[in-house]
Amino acid sequence: MEFKDNIPIYLQIEQYLYRQIALGKLTAGEKIPSVRKLALELTVNVNTVQRALQQMNSQGILYTKRGEGNFVTEDTQLLAETKQSLINNELEQFVQNMERFGIKKVELVSTLENYLKDEGDQHE
Amino acid sequence: MNDLLTVKDVSYKKNQKLVLQNVNLKLNSGKIVALLGENGAGKTTLMRIIAGVAKNYKGEINIEGATKEAERKAKLSFTDGLTGFSDSTKIKEVVKFYATIFEDFDENEFDELRQFMKLDPEMKLSQLSRGMREKLIIALTFSRKADLYLLDEPFGGIDAMARKKIINSIILWKDEKATILISDHFVNEISSLLDEVVIVKDHTVLEHKSADDIRQTHKSIEEYYESFYADEDDE
Repeated sequence: MEFKDNIPIYLQIEQYLYRQIALGKLTAGEKIPSVRKLALELTVNVNTVQRALQQMNSQGILYTKRGEGNFVTEDTQLLAETKQSLINNELEQFVQNMERFGIKKVELVSTLENYLKDEGDQHE
Repeated sequence: MNDLLTVKDVSYKKNQKLVLQNVNLKLNSGKIVALLGENGAGKTTLMRIIAGVAKNYKGEINIEGATKEAERKAKLSFTDGLTGFSDSTKIKEVVKFYATIFEDFDENEFDELRQFMKLDPEMKLSQLSRGMREKLIIALTFSRKADLYLLDEPFGGIDAMARKKIINSIILWKDEKATILISDHFVNEISSLLDEVVIVKDHTVLEHKSADDIRQTHKSIEEYYESFYADEDDE
């Protein structure tokens, strides 16, 4: 994992973990790696990992069991919402990028449909 | 949070030449802090003064209430570059010396660190590459139980693998309450690790900032550091 140096690292750790959860690499109720293990894996300071985990605890996506560590929430609705908001972020990025290429919002669906159709043809 | 280290109005001259002037610095416990500045800016001198090695400075140094040099030395662990040992000294002999001199030196901890760094205790100092030597210095420094660790340019002239080992040893061995001050003239390699950044320039501490506060302004630590030297490039 490479971090951008012009965005607070704790925010990037949060994003990284949110992604792991949305992609199903960390599942509902699963214990996440220890603070030190995450620090080592991401080459960051233990304090920074702790700050990210604290934030995620207060957002409800993680919960702490005393002496056991941090776990992914079992609130499936919250997990679904989290996943949806990550998907929305990706879509927003996509829409913005297409706009830069001069493709208007009304043309987006047909552009995407054409692409998917062409791609499907190539694979046949 | 409690102050671990306070440097108050410290000035230092060497051979009539000004090295440091009116340095003020406070560090809290539990942090990883970079001491950044060009070669010759006074980083090493500042570390040596804090460590109680450089004497005859003006001002005051306080480490958790300890102001006298001997008391301070007991609370901090400083990389001293192994300068006092002859080239034929074996690693295990250096360790023996450290264990004798420092009451808080933990030989078991050293052994763990030594294995992590993949160093052979039978090796002589003359047989060590630059990277191995630096790894040994770090292992010796972290084997003491101190509140403050001073690492003077641990990454100078070493390869990427040795650097990675040293960085990982910092993450793994750093006690929660201990503070580590790392001097360097290049920040990229350690920036993801840092809680705070201290800039040394013009014989003094110019700035002291939280790393994430710098990033919050969409600046990288490197850009922030370079901004202090920007005007000089224009000349």
